[in-house]
Amino acid sequence: MNALQQDIAQLIINTLNLEDVTVADIPPDLPLFGEGLGLDSVDALELALALQKRYDIRIASDSKDARQHFTTVASLAAFVQAQQEA
Amino acid sequence: MNFIIDQWRAWAPGLDSDADWLAWSRQPVRVPDGDAQPSCDFLPPMQRRRLSRLARMTLHVAWPLCAEDEQLPFVFASRHGETPRTYALLSEVAEQQPLSPTQFGLSVHNAIAGQWSILRGQRGESVAIAGEADTFEHALVEASALLDDGAPAVLVVLAEEYPPEPYRDWIDDVPFSYALALRLKRAGSGEAWQLQLEPNREDAAVEAWPHALNVIRALQLRSDTLVHAWKTRRWIWQRIP
Repeated sequence: MNALQQDIAQLIINTLNLEDVTVADIPPDLPLFGEGLGLDSVDALELALALQKRYDIRIASDSKDARQHFTTVASLAAFVQAQQEA
Repeated sequence: MNFIIDQWRAWAPGLDSDADWLAWSRQPVRVPDGDAQPSCDFLPPMQRRRLSRLARMTLHVAWPLCAEDEQLPFVFASRHGETPRTYALLSEVAEQQPLSPTQFGLSVHNAIAGQWSILRGQRGESVAIAGEADTFEHALVEASALLDDGAPAVLVVLAEEYPPEPYRDWIDDVPFSYALALRLKRAGSGEAWQLQLEPNREDAAVEAWPHALNVIRALQLRSDTLVHAWKTRRWIWQRIP
C-alpha cells in the first residue's frame, strides 16, 4: 500500500466513523461498497465531500466514471493522483 | 389517564445502573457532561457509525426494554433535539462550507426514531415530538393514545443533550445530557401511576431539575405525588397504590 492509499484508507475510517477498523483492514483492492467493506450510497456522498476537501479536487456528481473511481482504495488513489496532476 | 410503568432505564454521564440513579436521587447533583456516551456495543461497528450521541443515549436506554421478537410503538420526545448537530450544520452554512450529507440527512427530529426502527426491525407506529418544558407529559399522552389504540405496550424515550456553548444562555433546562426510557402498559404488574392535567393559575415555581429527572427521583425514592406546573398547565402525577 503506498502513502496515498494509506492516507485515503485513513480518511475513510475517520470520515465515516468506522470504529474498530484500521488501515490494514482496508487493503487497496477491497471493494468498498456492498460486499467487502460494506459502505452505502450515503457513505459515497460523504466520502466524495471529504476527498474534495482533503485533496482540493473536484468530483462532478453526475460523472459516469464516479462509480468506477469509488470501487476500491486503489482506484480512488489513482483518481486523486490524476486529478491533482491535471 | 392511568398507566403502568412496566420497566424503565435511564442514562446520564456517569449514571447508568440502578444503584447510580438511587444515589443520585438521594443527593442530586449537576454531573459534569463531558463527552461521555454509551458504547452501544450490542450493535456491530458498521451499524453504529451514524449514531449521534443522542441516538446512542436513546438506543442504550430503549434497547433492553424491547424483546428481540417484539414489535412496540415508539415515542421519541425531546424538547431541544440535537443542538450540537444543529450548531455544527449552521456553522458550516455560515462559513459557506458544503454540508455533510450524513449530518444533513439526520438533522430531522424523527431521525433517531427512524434509526431505532431500522436497527431493531420495528415496523409499527413511531412518533417524534418536541414540546415545551412539559414535553415528557405530552409524550405520555401520545403513549396513552397508542395504548388506547390496542398496543399491548409502548416505549417512550425522553432524551436531551447538553447544548453547545452558544445556546446555553437560552437553553437553561438541560443541566447535563440525559435519557429516560419507559415501557408503559395499561394493565398488569408494575408501578401504576395516574397523570392528570389541570389549568394552572399560579406562577410556576422554577424547578431545580428537568421534570424527567424528578420522575426518576420519584421512582427511586418511592414518592407518591409529583406536581409539574408549566405556563397554563398543571400536571399531577399520582402513584396508584
